[in-house]
Amino acid sequence: MFDLVAQSVFSGLLAGAYYALIALGLALVFGTMRIINLAHGELVLLAGYIAYTAESRFGLDPLAALPAAIIIVALTSVIIYLLLTRIRVDREINSLILTFGIAIMLTNGILMIWSADIRSTTSGWYLDSIIIGDTLFAMNTEILFAVIGVLVVGAVWWWLSKSWYGRALRAVSSNRDAAKLMGIDPRTTEILSFAVAGLLASIAGIALYSGKVIEPSLGHSLTIKAFIITVLAGLGSVPGVLIGAVLIGVAESLTATLWSSALQGLVSMLLFLIVLLVMPSGLFGRTRRRG
Amino acid sequence: MIARMISSVLALTLGLGAANADELIIGSQIPLTGSAARAGMGMNEGIQVAAKVFNETNGKHTVKVITIDDESQPAKAVAAIERLNAQGALAFTGGYGSNIIGPASDAAERLGKVYMTSGGVATELSQRGLKTFFRISNATGYAKALAGLSDTLDLQSFSLIYSTRESTAEVAKLLEEIWTAEGKKVTLHPFDPSIADFKPVLHKIKLQDRPEAIAMVGYENDYVGIIRAAKVLKPDAKAIMGTWSLATPKMWQDFPDLMNNVYGTAPLPYPAQFNTPEEQTFAEAYKEMHNKEPDYLGIFGYVQGLLLFNAVAEAYDAGTLNSGGVQDALRKTEHDTLIGKVIFDESGDNTNFAHRMAQHQDGAVAIVWPKESATAEARFPAVPW
Repeated sequence: MFDLVAQSVFSGLLAGAYYALIALGLALVFGTMRIINLAHGELVLLAGYIAYTAESRFGLDPLAALPAAIIIVALTSVIIYLLLTRIRVDREINSLILTFGIAIMLTNGILMIWSADIRSTTSGWYLDSIIIGDTLFAMNTEILFAVIGVLVVGAVWWWLSKSWYGRALRAVSSNRDAAKLMGIDPRTTEILSFAVAGLLASIAGIALYSGKVIEPSLGHSLTIKAFIITVLAGLGSVPGVLIGAVLIGVAESLTATLWSSALQGLVSMLLFLIVLLVMPSGLFGRTRRRG
Repeated sequence: MIARMISSVLALTLGLGAANADELIIGSQIPLTGSAARAGMGMNEGIQVAAKVFNETNGKHTVKVITIDDESQPAKAVAAIERLNAQGALAFTGGYGSNIIGPASDAAERLGKVYMTSGGVATELSQRGLKTFFRISNATGYAKALAGLSDTLDLQSFSLIYSTRESTAEVAKLLEEIWTAEGKKVTLHPFDPSIADFKPVLHKIKLQDRPEAIAMVGYENDYVGIIRAAKVLKPDAKAIMGTWSLATPKMWQDFPDLMNNVYGTAPLPYPAQFNTPEEQTFAEAYKEMHNKEPDYLGIFGYVQGLLLFNAVAEAYDAGTLNSGGVQDALRKTEHDTLIGKVIFDESGDNTNFAHRMAQHQDGAVAIVWPKESATAEARFPAVPW
């Protein structure tokens, strides 16, 4: 039993780091601009398909597709931002409708370009297994992207809290007019926020392609997973994303081991609801100041 | 001009669009986008080939297939049937997924027109008392094939991993019943369709179940996830087998490292051996239209399409289109097809449906069960890891 539980927790931790990579871009935009980008999962998927093209057409390693994926996905992300700026009234609800529509367009664009077939890397190294102490099993890609996931979360946290642009972003998010008076251009910082979200989606997409199976209809479920983690973490909390993602990953994995994998989705949703009932602002969210 | 407009309106409203030029209009409601797009596209390719073959060989009638994408959504499927009916469709084909086929075929029944599919295997579809519902495949045929192979290999214990979707859960339930009745040990592992990491499940199988065989009832992405997890954990099984979409050349082409020695259902071997004139006609038309080898979805789409076109033509000639002639033509006789004899019972089910089992063998898909259809010996014990 110990072997089963140990492997389950280990798999959950690796899954959590991977979930964090997927959620981070959404959390960044949600935390800084209060916009839920419902096309975020499709951006992750787009990066995955770019990695597929690089590997199948040009024989490149999936990671080598990262620069191209960043350019295309970040550009797409910025275009989404520019479309969002056209919204003049009811920005919260209309941004949901707009990004939902963009998600459908992206899904169908992916379907037209890459067909409905499932895709995944064929690169042997990523899929080779690592055995730790005869007890813990994983694929190379899971370890690699778990490490990258933790590093990226740390880098985003550092960028937001220590760099000038990061602090500018938080200032715009906190009070747009006051930020303007401080010499910050809100539009530039918001574009930067979307571009960084695109970069994060690109890394997540490469991780997705390298370890899982991609298909055009997958984007929607990626967005839902990212959204749950973002809300669970609490608005604007970058470390919270990692912890929330790991909680979901471990809960799902233990559910599969101790009960049934048919209940994985249910348990992660229950966890989400319980946390929100007890801590309405999420695990690390700040309660809004009154007055 | 006015007379033409009036006659067009009358033709459409009276459903006589097909009668003017002996062109029979068939509606195809099929998922070309959404979660079932891969299957829908494959089936659609077969239906289009069936139309081409029918038009080139019938000599008397031609069919025009109007296709509407149901986007893998039940409500859109019902709307598609209604729109196709408004466009003069005499009967309907297509459909993928029992949850979508159910409401779409209900809509066809209300319109009094035949609905023919191969994309839904749930037993309840044929237990609704519909007069116009027909399908060429069913859950029993898939379960019997897996059970038949496992009898031949004398396997005694199974870990059965299955998606909780309706059709997959149904095949798994049938398999459990068959194996349990035979005194074999079965451990069930249902999984949520959204999961991608199967290591916790495979680890339980490795340490607790210790089965002789792992059976999978799911879809392509599930198979890839399960076999990948098995390659990491290496459970001590003698065989791994699954149902649809597994023993296909496409799976070998995309995932050669995962597929060797895996068993799955398959109507034909690969490289395909088309021996009869009908098989050769199909294969040539398929390659000409789609520039690739046929897959099982294309074969099923072709069979369901051609059966329907012939039945509609027969009813049209007999003047019984509006009095149940299409369903009578389908029920009254046995039909020789690429997937064997098709015999429809009162519920519209093909009582003769029994799948074959194939095994991936170094790039070939060899039929290994039943013995009379086998193109190669089964490699056993053998797994991809």
